[in-house]
Amino acid sequence: MRRACTVWALVVGMGAAQADAPNSIDPASGAATWETHAHGVALRLTQILPDQARAFYISRGFSAADAELYATACVYMTVLRNDAAPGALDFRLADWQVSTRGAPHVLRPVDDWLALWQQRGVSESARIAFRWAQFPSDQEYELGEWNQGMLALGLPPGEQFDLAARWQVDSKTYEAVLTDVRCAPR
Amino acid sequence: MNRITSPLCGITLAWLAAMPAAAEDLPPLTHVLTPIAAPYLAPALKLADLDGKLHELVSFKGKLIVVNFWATWCPPCRREMPSLERLRQQLGDSGLEVIAVDVGEDVETVFAFTGQLDPAPTFPMLLDKNSAVAQQWKVRGLPTTFVVDTDGRVIYRAVGGREFDHETVVKQLRSHLPAR
Repeated sequence: MRRACTVWALVVGMGAAQADAPNSIDPASGAATWETHAHGVALRLTQILPDQARAFYISRGFSAADAELYATACVYMTVLRNDAAPGALDFRLADWQVSTRGAPHVLRPVDDWLALWQQRGVSESARIAFRWAQFPSDQEYELGEWNQGMLALGLPPGEQFDLAARWQVDSKTYEAVLTDVRCAPR
Repeated sequence: MNRITSPLCGITLAWLAAMPAAAEDLPPLTHVLTPIAAPYLAPALKLADLDGKLHELVSFKGKLIVVNFWATWCPPCRREMPSLERLRQQLGDSGLEVIAVDVGEDVETVFAFTGQLDPAPTFPMLLDKNSAVAQQWKVRGLPTTFVVDTDGRVIYRAVGGREFDHETVVKQLRSHLPAR
């Protein structure tokens, strides 16, 4: 496996980012995974292909049109694990930074998605499924704790981006940068 | 109750309901529970199971209770579920109970999934259809598991998937089993 396409660094004294290919590609689906480990924390992004997202949300009660909005929003199965950090980590998705071709891109908060679904008349049960399927907007992980969930970056299919994921341990901020990650094609 | 009994139908529903993820190289389940520094009284829990029978946490008082919040579409939830049954088989006679709380799904969906499990779960599968109980327990993501001691206090938690019958977890739990 090639070295992770990431550089982990403290926000103070951050190193240079390094572009690289995905760490793995699922032979069955073709979904690509980018992953890195540093400071005792693991971060993994796996593409959720638009067909997979459509099937998931339509089976949960979304209309085809509503599912399409999310399925084509560059969705990743996101995993963050505290394997051996120096203490409990806290993260907020609002602190994570996405940039594409050097320009910042704001992550759409889960509450905004939920408001959109309500406005479009998506059923309550489907909205509940959506809310719980998303990567949490904030959480604390003690040693050995982790989570995974869907994270929509809101970028077009095939777009390339960098992600700076940030968390705190004992009020000290850490950062992981995944570079040249690609959204799944349409 | 008119449940889905066709294995093919059940498997199809489960596939549709599952969260997509690369099949290979799944994140490993971990093997430790997080002790709660200041144990607190467990929130109320009163929910119906797949047969409509109500279960209440207080009725299990005096036992060591593992409360697991999960959903069928959640990959680590699916992977850890058999280990909860193995844990119950190992420590059930010593006073441990397992309660699984499905968040946001209906009877048919949960039934179709549990029918595929080996070993099949014998503990209560409760339905938190509007996720109100999960929110009262301050669950942020699935799976999240709490351990409630014989006095009704939350003493451990586990955020993310676990191998609940791993010797490290079993050792943590043994010291809190009710006295015999």
